[in-house]
Amino acid sequence: MIVGITIITVSILVNQVTKETFSKNNPGFDAVVGAKGSPLQLILSSIHHIDIPTGNISYQNARKIIKHPAIKSATPISLGDNFQNFRIVGTNKSFLKLYKANLISGTTWSQPMQAVIGYNVSKITKLKINKFFVGSHGLIDTGDVHAEQPYKVVGVLKKTGTILDNLILTSLDSVWNLHSVTNKDKLEITSLLLKYKNKTSSFSFPRLINKGTNMQAASPSFEISKLLKLTGNAHRIVDYLSILIIILSFLGILFTLLNNINERKYDLAVLRTLGFSRWKLFSIILSEGMIISILGSTIGLIFGYIVYESMYYFSIVARSLELGQLNFLNDLFLIWIIVNIIAFITCLVPCIKVYKQNIRSTLLNS
Amino acid sequence: MLTCENISFDIDGQKLFSNINLNLKSQKDLLITGPSGVGKTTLLSILCGIQKPITGKVIYNKIDLYSLTESNVDEFRGKNLGVVFQNFNLINAFTVKQNLEIAANAIGKSSSNLYFELLDRVGLADKSHIKVTNLSIGEKQRLAVARAFVGDPKWVFCDEPTSSLDDKNADIIANLIKDESLRCKASLVLITHDSRIQSLIKFSKILKLGDEL
Repeated sequence: MIVGITIITVSILVNQVTKETFSKNNPGFDAVVGAKGSPLQLILSSIHHIDIPTGNISYQNARKIIKHPAIKSATPISLGDNFQNFRIVGTNKSFLKLYKANLISGTTWSQPMQAVIGYNVSKITKLKINKFFVGSHGLIDTGDVHAEQPYKVVGVLKKTGTILDNLILTSLDSVWNLHSVTNKDKLEITSLLLKYKNKTSSFSFPRLINKGTNMQAASPSFEISKLLKLTGNAHRIVDYLSILIIILSFLGILFTLLNNINERKYDLAVLRTLGFSRWKLFSIILSEGMIISILGSTIGLIFGYIVYESMYYFSIVARSLELGQLNFLNDLFLIWIIVNIIAFITCLVPCIKVYKQNIRSTLLNS
Repeated sequence: MLTCENISFDIDGQKLFSNINLNLKSQKDLLITGPSGVGKTTLLSILCGIQKPITGKVIYNKIDLYSLTESNVDEFRGKNLGVVFQNFNLINAFTVKQNLEIAANAIGKSSSNLYFELLDRVGLADKSHIKVTNLSIGEKQRLAVARAFVGDPKWVFCDEPTSSLDDKNADIIANLIKDESLRCKASLVLITHDSRIQSLIKFSKILKLGDEL
């Protein structure tokens, strides 16, 4: 039972938190424009900071898109480095406004090589205002660092419960300077995060980009719903498996109790002769079964939560998943209740057997 | 007062006994005797509320035992009756003391002193932590007697308490039952075809099954 409940708990937590995180990480971007490749990869890397980017696009081309009449806002981002696995994102200050981010301390950047760090970054790396750090090449810490050009922390953000908590933000100039790009015509960014003026552009604008340029425009809502549909199927398989394990554990409880009762039927009959009423024995057997069930289901929930928390600490991907308002508690509590109601019904079988026991024939046969 | 009215019982349609009537006043003793197979143990089970008769009533001080629910019969038995079974019916996995504790627990009674006093009287004080399986037949019989008196019962039923004992142990058990019954001011109903016990306990009534009543 513990194994079944643990698996189903992890499945629910991951499922709920994934959906919640995907929704919170997107402050309303209608499209992401980036290098051609997998549109899902573009969305995951640019908004959720999970996957690697599809490539870079020319900043010059990007500026044309920014000026397009269909676009309400366009936020460029430039990825490429990390600090202790936290991604360093080159962007402009509108990025902070989009996420309604506020500073706990310090200010935003005013010149290159200044950085504003997210809440979790500050908590885990212990970076504070006026401290320096050096970024590593790539999106995973490989030890290959830009030692000659450190960043200075100028601001720390309040917790937002979004991906922003796990990012290090800096100006685009910082990223370009660090990678020694001086020719203005050769400036590149990773992607552009777009909001349309009018939702009707969501059909025409991507077509314009995808067919007329060497870039692609991907819709976050479309790609994420496709992803959730795929992962939803996997979740369902895991859920069925855990339900099967739970059913087997119910049968385990049932046969254990029936076997115990069979072995102890003489003792139970003796207890009746001593004055234990059959209701009292009924409640004792029921309690035995329910203690196993309640303990098993509770330990399973706790283990599930521990497994989930461990995933958070040991997986870079899971770092982008954050437990939100504990909405999942309702689901877990419901499962706990259902499991124990079924256990109660299962335990009634041996209890009824004890209740109906004929003490004289049991004692005679023993 | 224990009253039986027209008690009958049969097994698979074969009559075992019928129309048994008796009255037993408080603190009076009854001996039930008769050859093997006449239904002595069955009658005792009926009197204790363990086996419902085919017809008839068993009345304890105006309480019709079989008009109670089965759970209430169990509780009544625990609180008012003490039973020494022929094969003891002890819980073998328990120690001597635990067998007394569980009996006391059944009626909501609990006191360590009570157990030790009782075990002292039956001569098992030094064996309180020994498991039942390690006791001799005589010791098991003494423990069964001690357990029957844990709740200070008003009626005590003993089924062949001395049949498997030698003279010395039979003497000890008979005296023990007699003394404990006197202490509890209990009526004693005893089944035996052991003539030794009739010389040790003076019964105010004798019921011979299989003969004319």
